[in-house]
Amino acid sequence: MPLLVKVRSFLRNLFSPQSREDDLDQEVRSHLDLLAEENIRAGMSPEEAQRAARMELGGIEVVKEQVRDDRKSEWLRSVFADVRYGARQLRKNPGTTAIMVFTLALAIGGTTAIFSVVYGILLRPLPYAEPNRIMAISEVTTRGHLSRLADPNFDDFRDQNRSFQAIAKYSDGVVSVSGASQPMRLQVAAVSTDFLKVFRVQPIIGRDFTGSDTKKGAARVVLVSNGYWKEYLGASPDLSESHLKIDNALYSVIGVLPAGFQFPRDVALWLPADLDGENTSRTSHNFSCVGRLRDGVTVVQAKGDISSIARRIHDTASDQNEYLLKDGAVLPLQDSITGETRSPLLILLGAVGFLLLVACANVANLLLAQASVRERELAIRSALGAPRRRLVRQFLTEALLLSLVGGGLGVLGAIFGVAGLVGLAPESLPRLDSVSINIPVLLFALLLSTTVAVGLGAFTAVRTTSRDLRNALVEGGRGQAGTQSGAKVGRLIVAAQMAITLVLVIGAGLLGRSLMKVLEVNPGFRVEKIVAMEVSLPGADDPKAKATQAIFFSNLIGRLQQIPGVQKVGAASSLPLDDNGLPDGMFLLLNQNEVPKNLADFDALFLQKERMGVADFCVASRGYFEALQIPLVRGRMFDERDGADSPHVAVISESLASERWPGQDPIGHTIEFGNMDGDLRLLTIVGIVGNVHQYGLDSPSRPTVYVDLFQRPRSAITLTMLSESDTKPVASSARAILQELDPEVPAKFRTFSQVYSSSLGSRRFNLILIGFFGVTALLLTTAGVFGVMAYSVSRRTREIGVRVALGAGSREVLAMILGQGIRTILIGVAAGIAGALALTRTVVSLLFGVTATDPLTFTAVILLMIAVALLACYIPARRATRVDPLVALRYE
Amino acid sequence: MDSAPTSLLQGTLDLLILKSLMTGERHGLGISRRILQITRQTFHVKPGSLFPALHRMEEEGWISSFWGDSENNRRAKYYRLTNAGRKQLKLETKRWDRISWAIAQALEAS
Repeated sequence: MPLLVKVRSFLRNLFSPQSREDDLDQEVRSHLDLLAEENIRAGMSPEEAQRAARMELGGIEVVKEQVRDDRKSEWLRSVFADVRYGARQLRKNPGTTAIMVFTLALAIGGTTAIFSVVYGILLRPLPYAEPNRIMAISEVTTRGHLSRLADPNFDDFRDQNRSFQAIAKYSDGVVSVSGASQPMRLQVAAVSTDFLKVFRVQPIIGRDFTGSDTKKGAARVVLVSNGYWKEYLGASPDLSESHLKIDNALYSVIGVLPAGFQFPRDVALWLPADLDGENTSRTSHNFSCVGRLRDGVTVVQAKGDISSIARRIHDTASDQNEYLLKDGAVLPLQDSITGETRSPLLILLGAVGFLLLVACANVANLLLAQASVRERELAIRSALGAPRRRLVRQFLTEALLLSLVGGGLGVLGAIFGVAGLVGLAPESLPRLDSVSINIPVLLFALLLSTTVAVGLGAFTAVRTTSRDLRNALVEGGRGQAGTQSGAKVGRLIVAAQMAITLVLVIGAGLLGRSLMKVLEVNPGFRVEKIVAMEVSLPGADDPKAKATQAIFFSNLIGRLQQIPGVQKVGAASSLPLDDNGLPDGMFLLLNQNEVPKNLADFDALFLQKERMGVADFCVASRGYFEALQIPLVRGRMFDERDGADSPHVAVISESLASERWPGQDPIGHTIEFGNMDGDLRLLTIVGIVGNVHQYGLDSPSRPTVYVDLFQRPRSAITLTMLSESDTKPVASSARAILQELDPEVPAKFRTFSQVYSSSLGSRRFNLILIGFFGVTALLLTTAGVFGVMAYSVSRRTREIGVRVALGAGSREVLAMILGQGIRTILIGVAAGIAGALALTRTVVSLLFGVTATDPLTFTAVILLMIAVALLACYIPARRATRVDPLVALRYE
Repeated sequence: MDSAPTSLLQGTLDLLILKSLMTGERHGLGISRRILQITRQTFHVKPGSLFPALHRMEEEGWISSFWGDSENNRRAKYYRLTNAGRKQLKLETKRWDRISWAIAQALEAS
């Protein structure tokens, strides 16, 4: 009952204030009458009685105000009043208000958009049950890098660990799949038995793998993704008739995974990993590994557990070499997925945070300027008894109005911004699909807007109400003396703004210089006018299948060469700059009578360190070097002499020649690299070719051994066609030729320029964003400098008029105003240089070819800043010189 | 004496108002005079303290109000205790007893 009373009276106070007011008024008046009556009864005259009653009451309005103050709903009503009043204030200066709202919208929207990316990628939990219990398990190499697992090492981790309730290995790649509707190249993962248990995922139809499905030689079964099932298997609930031909082997579909399960990225099919048996080498690192922690086990304990197993393997292994694991590592899966993107994303968030500060500084200056105009109004309110906290609250309310409206618009903008960001983002950015404007992001935006409002409001309020407001009344609104300190604060804000902007623009400059340096790198090959076609034949390792592959590719290359406009056709196992990369391994310098009979013999030879070398292994055709214009340095390329049965030959990169054979001629030496493709025939080095930046223009080129495609064929290759004519008709002719040769082989087309361009994707992404923030901050700062100077000139009009009247020339006035501006600029630039020197260190990981303190960038940006700021000062200063003393003195 | 002690001891005024309404409904002036009477002229509650307290206590639901006629047929706003108010009076009385006992103990201690 009392609760009901409270709610009712609260609502009545809120929504029918008029009847409440009338009631209160009557009550106080009747009280007055009763008092007077009492006095009359005590013997006073009516007039005397009235006056005594009034004395005792102490003022009708005062009593009423005290009652109102005590009401529970009063604060809310006064908040409404503040909001109404604030909104009226803001409407009074629509131009300024629009600028402030727009500035805040830009800053809050930008920060929200970047935060949504950071949240989606780094913070949002992975979409699995208890995702923080899922770990990525790796080997640690001799050099301290994380590496994938070799089969026997995985088996030991799985069997000996005490920390994981489920642990599984997986690897994924593109294979050709046919049998559903049309032949396709699909991302397929090979996984061990417990893979789904790690993620606590179960098929929505059918069953999970069991131990007997994954044994060597078991019947071939496959799990399909929800998307694949819907699109290619007609979403049929009956899987008994569903079979897929994957790499020429027939698999029965046994289960469909729930929608949304997508691990590894983009995988459509999951097959058992070891149907052909495990690789017994402890140095063939073919599988990634995930595990789910047992309840109560910490990451550190699990790390210790895996680490001790790994060290035991290391200590007891027979083949000690630099590819053997040295240690083991356990990382939360989310960290392992997002590890490399963490620091660039945080740098972006920091950069947009700087932009936010710069924007807030502008708004703060505008608010200060407005507040100084309102000093008289504040003084009157204060004189009428408004307590200071009420005035402070008024400022807070106005700031909150501004930033909530700005923030709201900003979030609307961010919705588009995020779509743009996701479109702009490099493919290598993981988890992009989880980036969106969602509840946590909205909460962030709200929190951000509120923080900005409290900051701005408190700042203006403290600046404005701390002085004795009576001065404002005395000054009579002429606003001369009291504004000096205000102007100083304005200039300090501008200096800070310049400092922050300088840091941001220098950062952008360093990234820009890095991109230029990267583009200057000679990749070692030509990029333009090359169409790439990725083809993968059904893979099989026996010599007969390989011979067929060689014939197929030979035919294919021959036919492609006849396409009109195509000048050169080549083929290689992987394109430079493409994500796939090349396998690398150790080769041996052997001569003809030492050739090992099998891989086990081969392993034993690795004990002779002085005969070892390390290189990437690339299968290529002669035309590949010609199409990409990779130059022959010495010796010869592959040619007609190099048939399948003639001695196998190799061409090596210049870097390998100088690294492995310093001061010698490698041509004529023979090497054993059979561990890469299982063919133990020696390779005779016949030529040396130029270096190629295989792993990105910003990564050093790596020593590479090229073998002849027709001697060492492989199932998946990329054909490269140099063509003078348009790429589209070439691609469609090539597709038709492939269809004719084998309708079951799918192909993927790209131009080499696309590959080149996407290899620069993340560099470009960072540069575009930080550049955009930098330019925006520069514009805002320019506006800030201009605003503060113009305001200062307008406040000093009378003073300038007096000076001119006393004989100051326009040159002196210009010098006075500019001098003030220059001091501000220099303070800002000095602080900015200090900040940049301290902060650019954080972007070192994103730089290439420039140091974090690159003098050229620093000088250029500093000069740019000073020039822009001077220009922003000059215009108001010019205006000051045109002050007419007569007009200025009569001004008020 | 004025109502200064009420600001010193929060809740004292509430207690006095509730107590003054124990014996029946009263208008504002009546409450003020009744308090003066039962405190032997110690507390003279002025309208500036009285009305805010009355409105607040009404919001709390301890008292309710209605318009009625005074002894001399003037319209006046009357207050009376609600059940919640009676409970609150008991509570406040107990609390006050404890405080005054404690203060007395403190003063007697040497």
